Amino acid sequence: MSEYFFELLTEEIPASMHWAAVDKLRTQLEELAHTLGAEDPARSVDVDTTSRRIHFVMKRLPLRKPDSEQEVKGPPKKSAYGTDGAPTPALHGFLKKQNATIDDVIDSSDEYIRIRRMVKGRDISELLQERVPAIIEGIRWPKMMRVGKGEYAYIRPVHSVISLFDEQHLPIRIFGIDSGTATVGHRTLGPKKVAVTSYLDYRQQLELAHVIIESERRAHVMAQRALVLSKEVGGVPTEDASIVAQWKYLTEYPGLVRAEFRREYLALPEEVLVTVMRVHQKQLPIRSSDGRLTNFFLAVLDNAGDPEGHAAYGNSFVTNARFADAQFFYETDRRRKLEERLEQLSHLQFQEKLGHYLDKTQRIERIAAEICRAAGVDATDVAVAARLCKTDLVTEMVKEFTDLQGRVGGIYAREEGLPDNVWQAVYDHYQPVSLDDALPRNVTGAVVSLADRIDTLTGFFAIGAKPTGSKDPFGLRRAAQGVVQILLNRDRREIRIGIDKLIDIATTDANVKADLLAFFAERVRTILEASAWQFAYDEIAAAMEAGWASSLTDLVDRIHAVKAIRDESNFLSVLDSAKRIANITAGHTSTRVDAAKLEHATEKRLAALTDVVTAQIDEMISERQYRQALESFAGMAPELETFFKDVMVMVDDEAVRTNRMSLLRRVGGAVMKIADVTKIVVDRRDYRP
Amino acid sequence: MSRVTFQSLILKLQNFWAERGCVVETPLDLEVGAGTMHPATFLRVLGPEPWNVAYVQPSRRPADGRYGDNPFRLGKHYQFQVILKPSPLEVQDLYLDSLRAIGLDLSKHDIRFEEDNWESPTLGAWGVGWQILLDGMEITQFTYFQQAGGIDLAPVSAEITYGLERLTMFLAKESSVYDIDWTSGVGYGAARKQDEYEFSKYYFETADVDLHWKLFDAYEGEARRCLEAKLVLPAYDWTLKCSHVFNTLDARGAVSVTERVGVIKRVRDLAVRCAEGYLAAREELGFPLLQEGQGPRAEG
Repeated sequence: MSEYFFELLTEEIPASMHWAAVDKLRTQLEELAHTLGAEDPARSVDVDTTSRRIHFVMKRLPLRKPDSEQEVKGPPKKSAYGTDGAPTPALHGFLKKQNATIDDVIDSSDEYIRIRRMVKGRDISELLQERVPAIIEGIRWPKMMRVGKGEYAYIRPVHSVISLFDEQHLPIRIFGIDSGTATVGHRTLGPKKVAVTSYLDYRQQLELAHVIIESERRAHVMAQRALVLSKEVGGVPTEDASIVAQWKYLTEYPGLVRAEFRREYLALPEEVLVTVMRVHQKQLPIRSSDGRLTNFFLAVLDNAGDPEGHAAYGNSFVTNARFADAQFFYETDRRRKLEERLEQLSHLQFQEKLGHYLDKTQRIERIAAEICRAAGVDATDVAVAARLCKTDLVTEMVKEFTDLQGRVGGIYAREEGLPDNVWQAVYDHYQPVSLDDALPRNVTGAVVSLADRIDTLTGFFAIGAKPTGSKDPFGLRRAAQGVVQILLNRDRREIRIGIDKLIDIATTDANVKADLLAFFAERVRTILEASAWQFAYDEIAAAMEAGWASSLTDLVDRIHAVKAIRDESNFLSVLDSAKRIANITAGHTSTRVDAAKLEHATEKRLAALTDVVTAQIDEMISERQYRQALESFAGMAPELETFFKDVMVMVDDEAVRTNRMSLLRRVGGAVMKIADVTKIVVDRRDYRP
Repeated sequence: MSRVTFQSLILKLQNFWAERGCVVETPLDLEVGAGTMHPATFLRVLGPEPWNVAYVQPSRRPADGRYGDNPFRLGKHYQFQVILKPSPLEVQDLYLDSLRAIGLDLSKHDIRFEEDNWESPTLGAWGVGWQILLDGMEITQFTYFQQAGGIDLAPVSAEITYGLERLTMFLAKESSVYDIDWTSGVGYGAARKQDEYEFSKYYFETADVDLHWKLFDAYEGEARRCLEAKLVLPAYDWTLKCSHVFNTLDARGAVSVTERVGVIKRVRDLAVRCAEGYLAAREELGFPLLQEGQGPRAEG
């Protein structure tokens, strides 16, 4: 079994780009391994990176592709043999071109000459030479750069390539650079040139040259070191998977250093300290066993250790400098109350056509008050939180650390002694920022968040700035998603309000409303499809057809009902009934049945049953017992079948025809309030007894 | 290593890059915010002619002034600017050698290249590259220029910009920029603190706003006249003056959020026209530095 090893040496690739690139590369290489005939492509391929290298190995490859039988079509038989039965020049030419002989000609059923012969399997190494450069050169990085005179574009300039097939150099070219069998060691700790013969040799030699090629090993070493360094000062490293994930791609040789900042800065709000360390410096705070921050933290090194203390010094230096700034901002900010900052908001533009942030605040206040009225929520704390929620935008702290917006306002409100409901609402009102993010922790926060979001959405839609395709520069999808997430969670319990009502509160423009509803429908679909309930897309569509904008929790209940009955054995008859009704009554809307016009005994029975069942269904709907309602409807299926068998709907007598259609419409209409079951996609085989 | 001084750092870097074939230019004698704005960078990176240059550039950023009170932030700091065009493959190693030349034993430090892409909307320029961190501290911005004046660059230039004060503070283990030595016996504070105070006061409190708006219009007009007259280099000088006037107005708080976009666009338009004019002029001259024997030679 053969092995192919490859390394591409470039320059430091942005840490955030490694994971996706490796993932994609792995997929392509596994496909290649499969094409080459590897028995188990997934276990055959190993791809990884360091900060500036991409390397992979393909193990257990066959030496060549298996020989195969090939059939090739030749000239028509009548031009292949002469009248004397001898082969013609045409046939000879064909055979020569195909490297075949007359013995390879087989009996064929049509009028063409056909030959069959064994084709020797191609050498795997040849195939690798053909395919590897295209795969590597084809990697699409999020931000490419042109190199040199524009000979090529890539993430960074390519320095060298290693290409080894079974310990032999397999010449390839990447962007015009010839491969070889040598690379370099660590930038400052290793030798300039390292010659290698195989993947194993590469791994060992590079380790000696101070490069750990496996990213997980680097991560592991750093995680271990983090524990040790933290323990030395009686603490533990903060849990932060994303920082550690970045660290492993910032290094070739994994190291960590512990540094400290001046104790006095612990008086600053924790959010500020943590944001500065994580976001700006990629440092990991050390916490004491009770979870509180200490003045120690961990920083990554691309070196084994810090014997002369330079890294400890340097990291302390920069962190202290940033905290000094933060302290300056904090002290400056605290000289004014948040309330006093409202006037300043009139100098901060929100959007050219939508005014400044004081305008926005006033809109948020009004909308929030209306939401409280409509949903029966106490408005006292909401009013204060809505008023102050944007004031932190004109604080020095938020001007410097923009990702702390909301949180800084909440912290300052807390320090001013405002009630928990209020400061927590301000703190949380930008949440959720993603599908996994937490929701505002109290109703006040939820209302303010809804008000802020719906104001932004109606505003931007009104000025014609709705998202298109992949462009959503104002984050409107996220804004709408947050509304849906909040209402799914809160709606039932504390804020009973529909998205339609929310839009009405924010705007009277019918066009904006229509556009926004369509926009929201998409978000609702997306979120429900991704949710833990595991709703299928057709279940969601069926229930949404019966309405969604007046209550999302009601929608969820109805989808649950649809989901439950679709697996029942009688579902097919329910579906078929609904479909037939829909087809026959298409375009007919009346449900007025004139009892006098009922002729047939069957239709009279159906009419009577309909009265009973629709009443039942209506009552169940008012109790939100949707599953039972659908089952009630299911109970009518046999009677409906009889009806369709015995009674002809499309009779000439218009009055009778209309009457029968109205009756059917009444039947179908009962359940349309829950879901349009005709939208459920079935495989009939699933229902066979 | 004897105590590192600001001056010794400059001399060592100048020598290092001179030995590697750079033209050691003098700082631009106009107010600019960065070494990139010097014609030796902005104009020379355009077109196919090779170019290697190194120079100190005092960089004025009025809004960063702190009256001489803040230990790390200055209204005017000094950059050491290097351009290597075309960018040599071994440019990162060259840079590391320059650090060794100023006395650093890199095996005892942490040195990392962390993604940081640069752009200047005023100059219509952008590039990709890194901030270079020495023991966690940013000491250099490294950029592969992709575009300048809205024009795609070929060949690509490597720009290396050292933060001289930062580097000196770090090497001398001082926690305030005013405590570093400019040279032995003359502290940075002695040389510059008064400067920082007076200019902060001027840019934040005293500058005449009406006068500056008039100056902006006047400078812009003169830049345009020069461009009409096909005098690109004087036009570029006037463009830089516009840019500094804008920075002053901005520090003074005299530019609203909506006005900002428009003013930046006006400067950018001038910069783009200068870039185009410069390229056309070089082409007319037949791109002289492409000739045999002309142009700086970089030794590896």
